[in-house]
Amino acid sequence: MNDLKLSAVGMPLQRKEDIRLMKGEGRFSDDQTMPGQVWAWMVRSPHPHAKIVRIDKSSALAMPGVLGVFTGQDCLDAGLLPINHSPVPATQYDIKLRGRGNTEVFVGRHHLLPADKARFVGEAVAMVVATTREQAFLASLSVDVEYEVLPFVIDTELAAQAHSPPVWEELEDNVLVDSTYGDPEGVDAAFAKAAHVVSLKTHIQRVTAVTMEPRAALGVYEPLSQRYTLYAGSGSAVRQQRELASVLGIEPQHLRVLSLDVGGNFGSRNRVYVEFGLVLWASQCVGRPVKFRADRSESFLSDYQGRDLVTSVSLALNEKGQFLALKADNISNSGYCCVSLSPLSKGSGLITGNYDIPCISLRARAVYSNTMATQAYRSSGRPEVTYAIERLIDKAAAELGFDRLALRRQNLVPAEQMPYTNAMGLEYDSGEYAANMDRILALSDWAGSASRKAAAQARGKLWGVGFANYVESSIGTPKERVDVMVLAERIEVVIGTQSAGQGHETSFAQVAADLLGVPFERVFIIAGDTDRVSAGGGTHSGRSLRHASTVLSLARQALVDKAKELLHALAGAQPAEVVFEDGVLKWPRGAQQWSWFELAAWAQSSDLEPSLRTLQVRTDHEMHTPVFPNGACVCEIEIDPDTGALTLMRYSSVDDVGRCINPLIVHGQTHGGIAQGVGQALWEECFLDSQSGQPISSSLMDYGMPRFDNLPAFETQIVEVLSPTNPFGVKAGGEGGTTPALAVIMSAIEDALRPICGPLPFEMPATALKVWSALNAAQSHSPSQSKSLPIRQEASTPH
Amino acid sequence: MSTVSLTVNGQAVERDVPDNTLLAFFLREELGLTGTHVGCDTSQCGCCVVRLDGTSVKSCTTLVHQIQGSSVETVESLARGDQLHPIQQAFTECHALQCGYCTPGMMMSALDLIEHHDEVLTPEVVRSEMEGNLCRCTGYHNIVKAVVQASHVMKGARG
Repeated sequence: MNDLKLSAVGMPLQRKEDIRLMKGEGRFSDDQTMPGQVWAWMVRSPHPHAKIVRIDKSSALAMPGVLGVFTGQDCLDAGLLPINHSPVPATQYDIKLRGRGNTEVFVGRHHLLPADKARFVGEAVAMVVATTREQAFLASLSVDVEYEVLPFVIDTELAAQAHSPPVWEELEDNVLVDSTYGDPEGVDAAFAKAAHVVSLKTHIQRVTAVTMEPRAALGVYEPLSQRYTLYAGSGSAVRQQRELASVLGIEPQHLRVLSLDVGGNFGSRNRVYVEFGLVLWASQCVGRPVKFRADRSESFLSDYQGRDLVTSVSLALNEKGQFLALKADNISNSGYCCVSLSPLSKGSGLITGNYDIPCISLRARAVYSNTMATQAYRSSGRPEVTYAIERLIDKAAAELGFDRLALRRQNLVPAEQMPYTNAMGLEYDSGEYAANMDRILALSDWAGSASRKAAAQARGKLWGVGFANYVESSIGTPKERVDVMVLAERIEVVIGTQSAGQGHETSFAQVAADLLGVPFERVFIIAGDTDRVSAGGGTHSGRSLRHASTVLSLARQALVDKAKELLHALAGAQPAEVVFEDGVLKWPRGAQQWSWFELAAWAQSSDLEPSLRTLQVRTDHEMHTPVFPNGACVCEIEIDPDTGALTLMRYSSVDDVGRCINPLIVHGQTHGGIAQGVGQALWEECFLDSQSGQPISSSLMDYGMPRFDNLPAFETQIVEVLSPTNPFGVKAGGEGGTTPALAVIMSAIEDALRPICGPLPFEMPATALKVWSALNAAQSHSPSQSKSLPIRQEASTPH
Repeated sequence: MSTVSLTVNGQAVERDVPDNTLLAFFLREELGLTGTHVGCDTSQCGCCVVRLDGTSVKSCTTLVHQIQGSSVETVESLARGDQLHPIQQAFTECHALQCGYCTPGMMMSALDLIEHHDEVLTPEVVRSEMEGNLCRCTGYHNIVKAVVQASHVMKGARG
C-alpha cells in the first residue's frame, strides 16, 4: 500500500451511522414490528439443577390469548437439532484445547429447550406464545413444571473436583478440557535452580456484558415461500443463519437473518441464543410472526457471560530478577454447556505477557457447572492472563525488593527481537514494549505523582498508583468476503463482518475510499442482512478492520482488472495500456480517462451483454496470521480510609493499534474498553449464592456498573507500529482498553493499601466494603499500624 | 382500556389503550416512535428518557394515563429535517455515541440539564447530574465533552 495516497484513512471523520442513531431512526431488534405479531415468554428454571419430571400445559393453554405452549419434548418431537456452536477455536494459530487424555472435547447438546433437566437458574424450560406480551407472561405463571431437584455445582474449582455433581451424564466428571502445554520438565529444572519463586492464585470473577439493548428477536415464517426471517441483533448475521438453519433442519437460503443496528455486543451476542430459534419455530407453529424481548433481569440471567477463570501462576527468577520460567494452571468455567472455549484458548497463548520468559508449562482446564454459559467477553481471555502476569510481577517486586518498573523493563521482549515467538509458540508480529513504557510514564506524569500523593495524604486520603503492560492477540475467524459494486453515483461495499457500535460504516468506507481514490462520502457499507451478505466471519476478536482492509485491498486489484475488461469491450483499450492512478482509469493511447462512476454509468447504459454491464467484484480471503496489539497503562486512585470509598483520579493508556484508520473511533473504543475493565475491577460481579445457587445480582440495582460519576476523564494515546502481516498494518483497537485495566486498578489499590494491609487481601471487585473491611482488619490485628493511617484534617470535606 | 390524549412532538394524539400502558411502550408500539428505547426494568439506565412538559422523565416508569393532556417531546423532535439540533451536532462531533442505544435518552437528559442550568456546564456538573443515564460503549468520556460543548453552543446562541 506504499503507493496509496491516504486522504480519508487516519482522519477523525464523523461517523456515517450517527445521523440515523441520533434522529431515533436506528433499526434495533425490538424496533421491528410485523402485522399480526404475537409474543413469546419463557418459563425459566428456578433451580440450578433439576430433572424435569413433567410439564402440565393445560392451565396455561386455557388462559386468554394463549396460542401455544412449547416444551423441550415438543422440540425433540419436531426434530429440532441442538445448536452447533463450534466452540473449540480452530484456526491454525489457536491454542488447541483437548479433553482429558488428548480426547475430543465433549460438547453438551444445546437444545432450544431441554427435555431432560434444567442446568442453571434462568434456563428456559418452556415457551408460551400469546397475542400480547402480558398474556404470554401471565400464562407462563400457570405452566406447571414438576422438578426433581438435583445436587448442583457453581464454583469453578469445586466443579473441577472429581466428585462434583455431573452437569452432563455423558462425562465422568465436569472437566471437558484438560490439556498441558510447554515443557513441564524444563520448568521444574528452572524452578529448582531459581534464586526466587513467586506464586499467585486468583479468581477473575464472572461478569456480564450488559449491552444497553436487551436481546430481542422477531421470527417470521411465510408458508407460501416456506421461508423464515429473523430480525435479531448479533455479531454475525451469516453465523446466525448457518447455525439456526441447522437447528431447523433447513438449507441456509431458506432463512434470512437481519441484524441491523445492534445495541452493544462485547462478545455476548456472537453466538446463537435459544430464543432466536424458538421464535422462528413458534412462528411456523402458530402461523403468526412471533416476537421475544428480554427484560433486563432476563438478560442478567441468560445473556452469555464472561471471564470466570481460576488461575495459579508461579514465576522463577534469578538473583538479578531475570525471569527464568513460568508455571500456570488455569481453570475456565464454561457454565452449563459449551458455547465457546475462546477465552481459555486466547488466554493460554498469552500467559507470558510482554515478557521474554524462555520456559513455560501450562495446564488448561475447562469445567461445566450449573451456571449460565460463558463466552468471549470484551478481550476474551486476555484480561485474565494479563491480570495474572502483571499482578505476579507486582508481587515479585514487592516480595523481593525490586522496583516494579525496572523489573518489568529488564524482562520485556525487546523491539529488536520482533517478530518474537513466545514460549507458547505464538509469534508476536511487532511492538515497542519498552518505548510504550516510556510513553505511558510521560503521558501519566509518573514523575509528578509523588506530589499528588503528598497532596492526597494531606487531605486524609490513601493514595496509590498502578502500572500494567499488556499484549493481546487478535486472531478470529480466518475467512472474509467482500462484494464491491460501483454504481453511477456511489460505491457499495457488502461485507460479512458487522458493527455493534464500532463504526464500520465509517472506518471501512475510509479504507475503501482511499483504495479506490473516491470521496469518502460516496462509499456505503452494507452488512447484517443475509439476503445481501453471503459469507463472512462476523465481529469478534478485534478482527473486523484487519480483515476488512485486507480483503478490500485485494478487491481493489480485482476491480481494476474488471475495469480493464470493460474498457477493452467498450473502448477497445488493451488491458496493459490502462493504468489506475489517483482514482482515475487512464488510457494514454486513446487520450481518455474515466472515473469509477463514469465507467460504471457507461457500462450500465451500454449494449454489452447484461451480465457484463456491471462494475462489480466479489473477493474472498483467508488470513490466519494473528496480530498482537499492545500497550501500557497507569492509574491513580484515592481511598477514603473512613469509608473505603475509592476515587479514580487519573487514568492513562498507550495503545499500539497498528494503523489507526479513524482516531476519533479508536480513542472512543479505548475509552469504552477502559470503562468495562474498570467495571470488573471495582464493581461488577455475577454473584451466585453458594448455598442456593441463586443469582443475586440480577438487576441494575444490584450489579455495579461504570457510571458518569464514578469514572474520570481518560488520557489515551494511540501508537501506530504497523503490523507487517496485512496491507494496511492494522492490529486492532477495540479491546486494548480492557485488557490491562483489571491489573492496573488492583495494582493501584495494592499500592495504596500496602503500608497498612500488606499484600492485597481481597479479590475483584474491589468494592468499598472490601477495602474498608481490609483496612479495619489490618488495624485491629495490628493496632500499632493504625498510626500509619494519614491524619484526617479537620478542614477536609467528605465527598 | 380508556382514552388518552397527549401532544407528542407537537402533534395531538388520542388512543384507547389499557390502563397499565407505560409511556415508553405507548410511544414505541402505539405511535411507532422507536427512537425512545427501554434498557432495563428498574428505572436505572435512562435509555427511555423523554421530555414531559419540558422536564426529563423516564418514560418506562410513567403511566400514559397519568399524564393526560401533557406535551411529550422525544428524540424524534430534535432535528429539523437535515438540520441537526446543537446537542446532536455536539454528539456526532465528539463521537459521543457508539452503538447508539442509550443516545436518545442521553440527549434528552442532557437537553434538560443544559436548559435548566443558568451557566454553561462543567464536566463535573455533567458527571454528577447525568448519573441516571447508563452507557456501556463510551466510558462517558466523549458524552461529557459533547454535553459541555452543546451547553456552550446553546447558551451562546441565546446570549
